[in-house]
Amino acid sequence: MSEAVWLLVSFVAQLLERDEREAVRGDLVEAGESAWPALVDVLGLVVRRQAGLWKNWRPWLAAFGLALPSTFLLMGYSLSVSQTYQHFIGPTILKTTGLTLGPGFSLLMCNVLLLIGWSWTGGFVVGSLSRRTVWVSAALSCLPSLFCLARFRVESLSRFCLLLFLVPAIWGLWRGLRITRIKLSSALFLAVAVTALTVPTWSGKGPWIPNWALSWPAWYLVATAGRPIWLLRKERNGE
Amino acid sequence: MIGEFEYLLITAAVRLGEEAYGAAIRQEIEATTGRRCSLGALYTTVDRLETKGFFRTRMGDATPQRGGRAKRMVRVTPKGVQAAKDFYHAVTRVSQGVSWAANRTESLS
Repeated sequence: MSEAVWLLVSFVAQLLERDEREAVRGDLVEAGESAWPALVDVLGLVVRRQAGLWKNWRPWLAAFGLALPSTFLLMGYSLSVSQTYQHFIGPTILKTTGLTLGPGFSLLMCNVLLLIGWSWTGGFVVGSLSRRTVWVSAALSCLPSLFCLARFRVESLSRFCLLLFLVPAIWGLWRGLRITRIKLSSALFLAVAVTALTVPTWSGKGPWIPNWALSWPAWYLVATAGRPIWLLRKERNGE
Repeated sequence: MIGEFEYLLITAAVRLGEEAYGAAIRQEIEATTGRRCSLGALYTTVDRLETKGFFRTRMGDATPQRGGRAKRMVRVTPKGVQAAKDFYHAVTRVSQGVSWAANRTESLS
């Protein structure tokens, strides 16, 4: 039993910074603490640390201003991309002869690139805004995903088409956690490309106005591209 | 002005000198006050004192009795010593004349 509790202690301690985790676990060993008091101690420290992080605006913006609403919008857009594919490309491919790629194909490509751009920049900004609370942002993304997956009722499409955004979003998140910001030229290129790609969606059906909200992470990257990396890291760690 | 727990931490760290680190400070506080000191309270207060410039910390060497894990060593800065002195003088002054402090603070006036 106590071994299982010590495993739990190790698991919970993963939420602490590396140096602090090292010091705390060493202190517990040195003090000869038993498993349950050790768990209570580490949990107490983790709760205090996490609570301290939420005094800053960044975790709030990352979790409730970006991860949660963007997941809904990106799932909607993933569905729209799947329907566009089904409408314009699916039948063409099925014909096997006389493969013609008309204006539908270019619209589909725009949609796919836009989905990748929005998902990647959104994931990147979530990761770069608040590294230590990223698990909350991830959980807040999972909730709407599970909710929508459970209620998906489109006969002709797989429910997993809602999750097309997931791969570029995770890729962006991973990059955001590692490098915090990108070069100004790259950020500017991304922001202009994402904004330009939204233009064809104006003529399309569906609620495109809320989707504009998905473009702000790209411009956020432009705004932060010129800032020193140490300052961004200090800010995101809530120091 | 620092708080009571911050004062305890600074005093324990000064008393321990070069051997001031998490587990030792915790043991010192528990031994002198008879109260349990949680790791959460200890490390968040150490961070706060470091932010205020009263502590400097660094990672020490790993030792076998700690399972090969490093200590977070603490050193009190002159600013921290001054803050503890100010707290102590404020407490002793405000305690003058009260029943529980009789015969302890008379000499300070």
